[in-house]
Amino acid sequence: MTDIASLRPIAAVLVSALAIVPILASGHRSNIRESWSVLAAVTMLGIVASMVPGVLDGNVYVTDFGTFLPGIQFALRVDPLGLLFGLLASILWLVTTFYSIGYMRGLGEHAQTRYFAAFAASVSSAVGVAFAGNLLVLFVFYELLTVATYPLVAHDETDEARAAGRKYLAYTFAGGVAVFAGAVLVFWLSGTTAFTPGGIAELASADPVLARVAFALLAAGFGVKAALMPMHSWLPDAMVAPTPVSGLLHAVAVVKSGVFGIARLVLDVFGPDLIGDLGMGLPLAAVAAFTLTVASIIALRQDNLKRRLAFSTVSQLSYIVLGLAVLDPMSLVGGLLHIPAHAFMKLTLFFCAGALHVETHTDDISNMAGIGQRMPLTMSAFAVASMGMAGIPLVAGFVSKYFLLIGTISAGQALFTGALLLSGILNIAYFWPVVYTAFFESPTESDEKPLVSGVLGGRFGGRDAVTDGGTDPDDPDEPEGHRDDHGFAPDHEGQGIQDDIDAAEQLDHDHGEEHEIDWEHRGWRGGESTWFMLAPILFAAAGSLALGIAPDAAVFLRIVRLIVAGATGVSV
Amino acid sequence: MSDLAPFLIALPILGSVVALLIGLARSETGWPVAVVAMIGQTGLAAWLAYQVFTGGPIEYVVGGFEVPYGIELVIDGLSASMIVLIATVALGVLAYAHAAGPRSNPFYGTYLLLVAGLTGVCITGDVFNMYVFLEITGLAAYALVASGRSGRSAVAALKYLIVGTVGASLFLLGVGYAYIATGTLNMADLAAKLAAVGYTSTLVQTAFAFVVIGLFIKVAVFPLHTWQPEAYAGAPDSVSAFIAALVSTVGAYALARMILSVFTVDFLAANPLARDLLVAGAMVSIVAGSALAVAQTEIKRMLAYSSVSQFGLVLAALSVTNRTALIGAAVHLVGHAIMKGGLFLTAGLVATGTGARTVDGYEGLSDRMPIAAGAFAVLALAMVGVPPMVGFAGKWYIALGAIEAQIWPLAVVILASTLLTLAYFARLIERMYFREAASVGDGPTAEAETGSPTGDAVLADGGRVTAGMYLAVLAAAVLAATLGVAVVEYGRLLEPTLELLLA
Amino acid sequence: MIDLVAARVHYLVTFLLLGIGTYMMIGNRNLVKKVIGMNVFQTGIFLFFISAAYIEGAGSPVLSSPGPYVSPLPHVLILTAIVVGVSLTAVALGLVVRIYDEYGTLETDVLREVRADE
Repeated sequence: MTDIASLRPIAAVLVSALAIVPILASGHRSNIRESWSVLAAVTMLGIVASMVPGVLDGNVYVTDFGTFLPGIQFALRVDPLGLLFGLLASILWLVTTFYSIGYMRGLGEHAQTRYFAAFAASVSSAVGVAFAGNLLVLFVFYELLTVATYPLVAHDETDEARAAGRKYLAYTFAGGVAVFAGAVLVFWLSGTTAFTPGGIAELASADPVLARVAFALLAAGFGVKAALMPMHSWLPDAMVAPTPVSGLLHAVAVVKSGVFGIARLVLDVFGPDLIGDLGMGLPLAAVAAFTLTVASIIALRQDNLKRRLAFSTVSQLSYIVLGLAVLDPMSLVGGLLHIPAHAFMKLTLFFCAGALHVETHTDDISNMAGIGQRMPLTMSAFAVASMGMAGIPLVAGFVSKYFLLIGTISAGQALFTGALLLSGILNIAYFWPVVYTAFFESPTESDEKPLVSGVLGGRFGGRDAVTDGGTDPDDPDEPEGHRDDHGFAPDHEGQGIQDDIDAAEQLDHDHGEEHEIDWEHRGWRGGESTWFMLAPILFAAAGSLALGIAPDAAVFLRIVRLIVAGATGVSV
Repeated sequence: MSDLAPFLIALPILGSVVALLIGLARSETGWPVAVVAMIGQTGLAAWLAYQVFTGGPIEYVVGGFEVPYGIELVIDGLSASMIVLIATVALGVLAYAHAAGPRSNPFYGTYLLLVAGLTGVCITGDVFNMYVFLEITGLAAYALVASGRSGRSAVAALKYLIVGTVGASLFLLGVGYAYIATGTLNMADLAAKLAAVGYTSTLVQTAFAFVVIGLFIKVAVFPLHTWQPEAYAGAPDSVSAFIAALVSTVGAYALARMILSVFTVDFLAANPLARDLLVAGAMVSIVAGSALAVAQTEIKRMLAYSSVSQFGLVLAALSVTNRTALIGAAVHLVGHAIMKGGLFLTAGLVATGTGARTVDGYEGLSDRMPIAAGAFAVLALAMVGVPPMVGFAGKWYIALGAIEAQIWPLAVVILASTLLTLAYFARLIERMYFREAASVGDGPTAEAETGSPTGDAVLADGGRVTAGMYLAVLAAAVLAATLGVAVVEYGRLLEPTLELLLA
Repeated sequence: MIDLVAARVHYLVTFLLLGIGTYMMIGNRNLVKKVIGMNVFQTGIFLFFISAAYIEGAGSPVLSSPGPYVSPLPHVLILTAIVVGVSLTAVALGLVVRIYDEYGTLETDVLREVRADE
């Protein structure tokens, strides 16, 4: 591996940071403002992409600014792992920028300038996290990311958003402190914090107790953003943010920076071998397995679509952590590959949720019956992505989950294999009802959902007919009012009763035979929404398919193989 | 070149006299005099600091009386950084005070006297001389706090005076014990003779206890901090910025000087209890200061309690006394002075612009005063220790120092201090950016009637926001955000000084 | 015991003064009396220094005739300290006058009530 001194890493970080100035300056002229965002996103993607061939050839691009603190260089290094995250963030930033434009304009949101500025700052920090050359530089950008995303979480300026923002800051800064403490310990134990594939050698000879403490602190600190249980509860609350934010930051940048931190920790700070010797892999894997199972179960009970997606994120992130913690080369590949795979799929899902919100003001799954008529393309993309989440072949999730399963088996951890399979089934259980509701039901007739209210689902598992046609007194879903299981404040837009009203207004009462209430039919040619939103959705969905159908052709798998070969010496 | 050292004290005193005399002829002429004097002082301080960092410590014997009988002025790396800091901050606050007032000549006379006192504490090499300069500092500070025209400032100043005098007196008592034990007052001489007397001698231990407790009062370490919140909150805005940035800082410098140069690290090694006293003071200050800061509704009081907590960090570094931690102490002293001075200036700016002096009054500030809100947010985040700003650099060194010394409880508290600081700043940031102002129309007037501590004086004095005020605030914010970069170089400059101090 | 006390009576007085001064500063409600307490406190310290200047068996470099000599340095120091003390008292009394003008009282508890309405 050769180091190439280059300004490209810092340029990639700075591009979007610099874009903040013109974005703020062109405040009210929204077209100019947005074109700066797009320009910055394109430039950044170009810079990052230009480094891909070099990195695949085994080079590392380095920008070194000299000593930052004694013994610590302020260095940016684009190695394969950094590139994986950096490339992902820059591709998806571009996509999300277009989507944001459609979304923010569609809703006429307030404070759009602040929104786009904070957005650019977040992406800049995320790329900084990706390219950080040592633990401390990573920490610097990790904290900046927290600061930059806070305005996005609290964007709504409602009590609920502020509470979510407070919770977000409290959780992530607490995590930051743990990371900081861990970094100080690592520096004290080994005299360096520079990332070294396969681990920092001096740590192996350090006091094992302190090394374990350092690992635990770092894992817990990154685990906050990676939403490991029991440190996950900021994530569902943060879903009050505008949907593009939820999508990019809470399914891609923020949570992935946590996962990425754990990947750095496992591969480049301690190294898989040392973690095995210290016995720290198993506890981490156990936490991850617990999280992915429990989060899936909780997701079943969420009626609000974004909240269901949030718990799905909690669960999917733990796939990645599990893959890393099992320490087998195959599982490492699976975990790392799940980073881009999950990003593409989850982004699709969030974009769909956002498009539904903008076009029909529907947020609760119970109000989505028949919505496939109204938004066919969107819901098809949703269906594809949710199949991927469940690990059905030909979509991205299958490849990474396959590697994960193989990895856990070859590491002899059958229990974890079981957890993965169980969670896969639960994935179907909480995604299929959404798709089923959208396409195969209409607002006037809805059926039982599999596993949620009837074991078999559909018309087969329906409850016994009631002779008077009234409600079943035992049925918890039917009583007057609305069972508020989503935890948002009752007056939150698109919640509970309010959502029912919003949704009802969108229904076309004159349409359909016999004056049946139904969604308006819109064709398959994009009449359902603006192309600002549809194109990103379709792109992300296509990305999920590309990763699933030809993983070797998409560059991510090659990068992942390179990372694992570098860290373990085993080529997969 | 070393002959320039006494001018550091003489120049501001001269300026102070000139300001008073000119004031007899024409009123409101103090500001230009003060500016001229401070520009000269800044140049002088920078030049001397350059000499020190390139050529080693400067020693100057006042009046030609031989050491250890005469009074000596000593400028080493630590004092050099302090004198530059004092001159720079004083100049910056002057830029702010031009419009914000107070405008009277006696005010600027006292202001320059305070600069003289602060500088004196930092460059003297004689413990009794240090007492005198501490009292000059104190006197000038009491008078400045009282320069707000309301009754509240007078009450605050009197409380400050009584508590501060007790602190200085206890310091003097400690000096008396040291004198009885050794028969000398020169710092270098004391260090040698105290070692000869023996660090476990009761006399020496008592001297240490009195000196440290006396200075704890000056630094405002919990629970000896009670004078501070009232004094800061009761003073006019320019004054509270100035004394919050410098007076406690110089107190902490005096403490460091006494511990390191006079009693030396060997004393701490010989008396574990003494170190425990410092560690305990540090931990309690950090936690209690933050907890009290969260409970405040008035901005300036909150910032004052924040100082209690931040000086806990400095004290923590002094109790650890290894090289890393001491660099951290120096960095944090400088960084804190800039950040806290900037925060007080911003608070003053906001109060002038909108009349808001309470936490609730800051709601929706980002719409009303975007630049002030931005500066406040940056300074607050720097104080929290968001990397790579200067607050982070100091914290990194201090935490690393505590871990190197393996004082684990202290290390945990230092790390947790980030969250504690966040606790009181986050609510402000949230209010500034994510809440609408309750009622923009009658907000300021209502505030002015009920919330303004210095009465109508401040509002009447400087009811308009000027470029000079913004300049001072922005300079502080930019320095706080960027000085972190210079920390490594600064640490390297301090190395020789610390080598001597820790030898 | 008596001897011991008699030999150190000045230290005893010193700390008695310090104690009285502290008590007056904390316990007394009148601001002027607080300032007096501060003065008493400082006087204790002055006494401490002065008494420490008497060193048994010490000689003087200039005078040769026998007799008890007193080290002049602490006296000089205390002269300075007295000057400082006087200025402090002056400033303190000035503040007291202003407080009285503003609130019409010097009792701390009344002052607190008046200021609570501010």
